[in-house]
Amino acid sequence: MRRFFLLAALLGGGAVAQTALPGVLTIRFLDVGQGDAVLITAPEGQSLLYDGGRSEKRMTELLAQYGVKSLAVVAASHADADHITGLIPAVQMFKPRFFLNNGIAATTQTFGKLTAAVQAAGTQGLLAKDQVINLGSVKVTVLPPPLGMPKTDQNLNSVGLLIEYGTFKALMTGDSETAETQGWLRAYPASKLGPIDVYKSIHHGAKNGDNPVWLRAVRPSNVVIGVGPNNYGHPTSEALNLYKSVGAAIYRTDLNGTVTITVQPGGKYSLGTGKGTGTTPQAAPPRVTPQPLPRVTPPVVPALPSSLTYPNCAAVRAAGKAPLLAGQPGYSRKLDRDGDGRACE
Amino acid sequence: MASEQHEELGISHVTIDGIEGQVVRVELPDGTTQDWRLSSLPKGVREGDVIRIDVQGGDVDIEIDHEETDRRLALGQRQLDSLNAKAPDGDIDL
Repeated sequence: MRRFFLLAALLGGGAVAQTALPGVLTIRFLDVGQGDAVLITAPEGQSLLYDGGRSEKRMTELLAQYGVKSLAVVAASHADADHITGLIPAVQMFKPRFFLNNGIAATTQTFGKLTAAVQAAGTQGLLAKDQVINLGSVKVTVLPPPLGMPKTDQNLNSVGLLIEYGTFKALMTGDSETAETQGWLRAYPASKLGPIDVYKSIHHGAKNGDNPVWLRAVRPSNVVIGVGPNNYGHPTSEALNLYKSVGAAIYRTDLNGTVTITVQPGGKYSLGTGKGTGTTPQAAPPRVTPQPLPRVTPPVVPALPSSLTYPNCAAVRAAGKAPLLAGQPGYSRKLDRDGDGRACE
Repeated sequence: MASEQHEELGISHVTIDGIEGQVVRVELPDGTTQDWRLSSLPKGVREGDVIRIDVQGGDVDIEIDHEETDRRLALGQRQLDSLNAKAPDGDIDL
């Protein structure tokens, strides 16, 4: 048996040092709320952060919690805010050697702040191409967007990573969609893509990410979904059913917290969660109550009479509205101390 | 008086970070994101578009600011291309 499961809360949830066990590869699917962030630490101590979630504060806390002392590479699968925001403090703190990216700029302030941080840190940009990054003894193969993807679509230009250590394989492919996975299926032999021991769900379990043809090639044993409270219906029942149909165990950062994989030399691995046991949701998913989204302009547009504000969380609770989610009337950053999009939790 | 107050609201810009079905993730002027209904935005809006919101005298005018969108995209692309300019070829050992 090259794989076994150790459902130990300590592995996923505790303040475990970055290089806890010599000779061991550690992959943490960080609980960043709605978004993706995966911290990969080689047995020799080099780390790569693949995406950073949507909160600078949350990422800063997680980097401290897991005792990160350095980052060799930060990678943006693509430039959407729920993937790159947390990379900003990571770059500022650790001045990584490389910033892997898809080469397509975004127009957001967040993207501008990230590239400015990369420049200030003296970090070398690394346009994704067919290339291997040897993170110590861990082989990280970059899967660049296939030819023909429209440059106006960030999701379709997601950068993938295939991580190999002994016989162990992990795969993450950002928010890619069917057209991109079809391109990868043309570009790579099936034997390269699968079977995969640990697989990051595409696009937080969206309807337009994972698809049967792709998953039959990938053949994942375990799927980890980076997801938090959201208005998009992630993860969708379609994606969950798809994962079940290929026999994969399912883990979700909203239900299981940070999911940690520890890989021994040779490839034997264990999987731990911050809470719960994964596979089958052990609690009802924290459904976001259908809510009235702002009709036209947001509360931040000054002095719109429809703006609803609460002076503090006591007022929110008194109104029976806690927790307030980003996008709901009355949500504000000052009430959301950890910046995860849930105020007055 | 009221109209004077409204006139002070003026123009602000938000950016379309992502479109998830009928919900749009918008980056607000303070850099945070918020979800809006797609139907509340101009028709044909796309990811990356900068939206100009003009609030005057109680009226709200929302339109895609193509010029600002193009300006930001060009600036961002120059910055990114510059960062990527000296990337090494071949395998990288860390």
